Amino acid sequence: MILEVVAAGLVISACLAIYLEEAIYSVVCLACTVILISLLYAVNGTVYVAVFQFAIGLGTLAVFFLSSEMLSEKLKKEKSTRNTLLIVALGMFMSFPAIFLSLPTIQTNISIDSSFVQALWNLRALDIVLQGLVMLTVALGIAIVLYERKRGES
Amino acid sequence: MDYVILSITLLAIGFYGLLTKHSLLKILISIELIAIAASMNFVLLASSLNKNLGEVFLILAFTTDTCLTAVIFALLIIASKRYGTCDIRKLAKLEKNSKEGEDG
Repeated sequence: MILEVVAAGLVISACLAIYLEEAIYSVVCLACTVILISLLYAVNGTVYVAVFQFAIGLGTLAVFFLSSEMLSEKLKKEKSTRNTLLIVALGMFMSFPAIFLSLPTIQTNISIDSSFVQALWNLRALDIVLQGLVMLTVALGIAIVLYERKRGES
Repeated sequence: MDYVILSITLLAIGFYGLLTKHSLLKILISIELIAIAASMNFVLLASSLNKNLGEVFLILAFTTDTCLTAVIFALLIIASKRYGTCDIRKLAKLEKNSKEGEDG
């Protein structure tokens, strides 16, 4: 039962995140989506992924929140509560196929079964490459900021 | 419950936002939703097959996801600072005007 409620909440919050015009409300709905998906992972037994998703998602959302507060323009007209309720109903309706239908699963004979720690150790090369990518992005970001500052001064 | 259908639903919502919204922040939220849908499909299929490799891949995929978000944020802030708007229609119009100004 809890999985079905979480799935419905996930679809509804995703719909609201797209629909609501005010950026802060959209970010709050996206936060709900991240929390619900972490819960879904935790209920399915993938606790490591749930913790990672929660931590990274909340970090990203903090930046989202600040930028939406800083960059968004104030709206003149508010959307009606009726339309919002309609979107909630639509989201609930859209979650029904996921709850009640099921696709046939494909059975594979591929056997790469190992423990989580073992799998993480086997993929350490990929981990190092991705950390390099993060550092490259940070360096690129700093270069852009410095370039913009120099351009602003001159 | 079928997670593939759930992830397809989230993917569809993300694509809808990507195609119809004009604010850069909304586009970023749509990209986040698409990333969430893809990662959910990956991890829950791996979990149902009892493969830990899927979880590890996903933890590594979060890295690239965060980089992507950071790059889009940088673009958002630069566009907002330089042109004073986050609307892609206005940005496109400004770009077109500046090109015409350079030519003329």
